Amino acid sequence: MLSLYRAGYSPWHRLAAGPKALLLIVIVLGVSLLPVSWPGPAVAAAIAVGCYAVPGIGLRELRRQLVAVRWAIGVTAAGQLVFLGPGPAAANTTRVGAALVISALLALTTPVGALLDALERGLKPLDHLGVDRQRVALLLIVTITMLPVLARLAHDVREAQRARGAPPGLRHFAMPFLVVALKHADALGDALTARGVR
Amino acid sequence: MAKGHGSTVRPIDATDLARVAVFAALTVALGLPGSFSAFGGVPITAQTLGVMLAGAILGPRLGALAMIVLLVLVAAGLPLLAGGRGGIGVFTGPSAGYLFGWVAGAFVTGLVVHSTSRRPTLARTALGLLIGGILVVYAIGIPVQSLVTRLPLGHTVVLSLAFIPGDLIKAAIATTTVGTLLRAYPRAFRRTWGSSRQREVSRPEAT
Repeated sequence: MLSLYRAGYSPWHRLAAGPKALLLIVIVLGVSLLPVSWPGPAVAAAIAVGCYAVPGIGLRELRRQLVAVRWAIGVTAAGQLVFLGPGPAAANTTRVGAALVISALLALTTPVGALLDALERGLKPLDHLGVDRQRVALLLIVTITMLPVLARLAHDVREAQRARGAPPGLRHFAMPFLVVALKHADALGDALTARGVR
Repeated sequence: MAKGHGSTVRPIDATDLARVAVFAALTVALGLPGSFSAFGGVPITAQTLGVMLAGAILGPRLGALAMIVLLVLVAAGLPLLAGGRGGIGVFTGPSAGYLFGWVAGAFVTGLVVHSTSRRPTLARTALGLLIGGILVVYAIGIPVQSLVTRLPLGHTVVLSLAFIPGDLIKAAIATTTVGTLLRAYPRAFRRTWGSSRQREVSRPEAT
């Protein structure tokens, strides 16, 4: 399964998924609330570099993450430059970029399964509200298994249309894709029911 | 089970679960490379078509649930958004509000499209898609973008106008698609219209 996770031995990798998620959310919130005025952006950048400058991750990875969010940073910078001028634009873009790369650490250092397990544990207080955690987990797992299936169905529909010489475009793609997807949903629902899922 | 609102409130059974999973995955598939995404970083991809379709076809509750499932998987680190984006970073970035807007947008779309007990008309479908699929998404997306980038609200609105034409096209495509589906494959909606027929009522309610 495709994911953003990269195996490694850094301190971030060794932290448990739940506490790590909470810690990173707190750091990102802190960075987001930094002031626009002078030390603010520098502090944001320093925190981001500090988070990556640990054994096992490194600044090369930081650069890779910055490249990954280049569009978000570019669009932010462009809008700010037009309306606010270079000073505030640089400050705000630095802060937004820092928040983006710091939060990327969670997915980078935690396998999806570990995060979903942490989520299921984190939902425990909701038991009193009648939330069925096993059902939530089942829904998430079923969706994960559906991802490659729907990607393949989309590909098949597109191939079939290309073979018939139909014009490419969303307008002609939406309807057949939707019908194929809905038929698959019916079959999947029947299969779940047959296996005793209410 | 004594709940109001006729057929709209019922426990989520296995078929609903499958439909929610499929619409979450369908929205992902609409953002895959080689499909129709323009560029990553801002939500101007075909993925909002998935939001519209989920709300209009699954209805408010399940449509919103499909979007929540999608966002939970994104937060867990799967690169499911257009351009291969994922992780909690997307919830701290400039487009975070648009993602939360997907949940509310699918909900409102379903609410408007299925606001009466009669079969949705084309006009009501179009209205629902415009309000839920565009207005609500932007109403949540723009203020959050303004808050994150600290660009004043008015300027952010101007910046966002660039994406409206694409969304109007998607709403038009969704409207005709839903209209065709209503005629050709009405069981897709899993609803009954204009008759007093009850859905399977005798299923024992286990806890």
